[in-house]
Amino acid sequence: MTSDTDLEAEIQRLLTEHDRIAEQGITVHRRDHLVVLGGEVESAHRRDEICRQITAHFPDVEITCDIGITRAQAPNEVEEIS
Amino acid sequence: MIRIAAVGDVHVDKDVVGRYRPALEELPARADALLVAGDLTRHGTPEEARCFAKEFGGLAVPVIVVLGNHDHQSDQQDEVAEVLTDAGITVLEGEATVLEIRGHRLGVAGTKGFGGGFAGACASNFGEREMKDFVATTERYAEALTNALNSVQADALVALTHYAPVPETLVGEPLEIYPFLGCYQLGRSIDSAPTALALHGHAHHGAERGRTPGGVPVRNVAHPVIKQAYNVYQLLSEEVDATLIAVR
Repeated sequence: MTSDTDLEAEIQRLLTEHDRIAEQGITVHRRDHLVVLGGEVESAHRRDEICRQITAHFPDVEITCDIGITRAQAPNEVEEIS
Repeated sequence: MIRIAAVGDVHVDKDVVGRYRPALEELPARADALLVAGDLTRHGTPEEARCFAKEFGGLAVPVIVVLGNHDHQSDQQDEVAEVLTDAGITVLEGEATVLEIRGHRLGVAGTKGFGGGFAGACASNFGEREMKDFVATTERYAEALTNALNSVQADALVALTHYAPVPETLVGEPLEIYPFLGCYQLGRSIDSAPTALALHGHAHHGAERGRTPGGVPVRNVAHPVIKQAYNVYQLLSEEVDATLIAVR
């Protein structure tokens, strides 16, 4: 059984090691009875899969998903390196 | 003047193909080359590498990459590199390449790099065999970068890594994982040569800007940090300004 203390670590490892996720850049924070997920991924499909897998592995955990989709537009500016 | 576009940690798989392409098609008007700082794929499979090659290959500018830790996940990094090379993408691991751009030589030296930590909180070559292997890996990649950077002569020299060479660009990440995000030895390698710019990825929650102890500008170009398809950096501006003044 996963203790409260270990929950964030267990979720973090699931997100990294699950072969349908492989995300290392997701933050996992406890807030009262909620687990809040943050960070950015490359597609809405990946964000939805993260939530689906956490719910499947930790059915008693209520999650709030603040994961965004990283924008991929061309830049407007150039940085001069000196 | 040389303009370099750079991004890292794009983690391409089937679901991402097409997202970057519109911005990448604009590259010839914006930059002379594209550098990608590792984590090209999610799991490091040849299939994902083909997705990356489809998205980032066949551009009108040279594309130079290093692999990241994700690209090693399936232990097929050699096959991944082969797919990319076959698609015309230059893959650097302890090597350098030189591009001729409007009379200037742009040197790019690259390695994946490895973790190990930074001053005051770094791993030591001591104790268990596993620990010594860890630090030996750190030092092997750093030495490869030193050799690659010092193997070329260029008007502008760029170091391309996946792991971070300084802690400044990790600010925003939990302190506890800094040793898994980079190592000071890479910074020392960068300072061993006349490097103009160091680019890395890996730290999704890090900061964009830092400098090595020797003063070389460092930029974390991880996609979640720069929040656009790529950043563009301009090098050798003084030379271009002087030329323009002379022409007038």
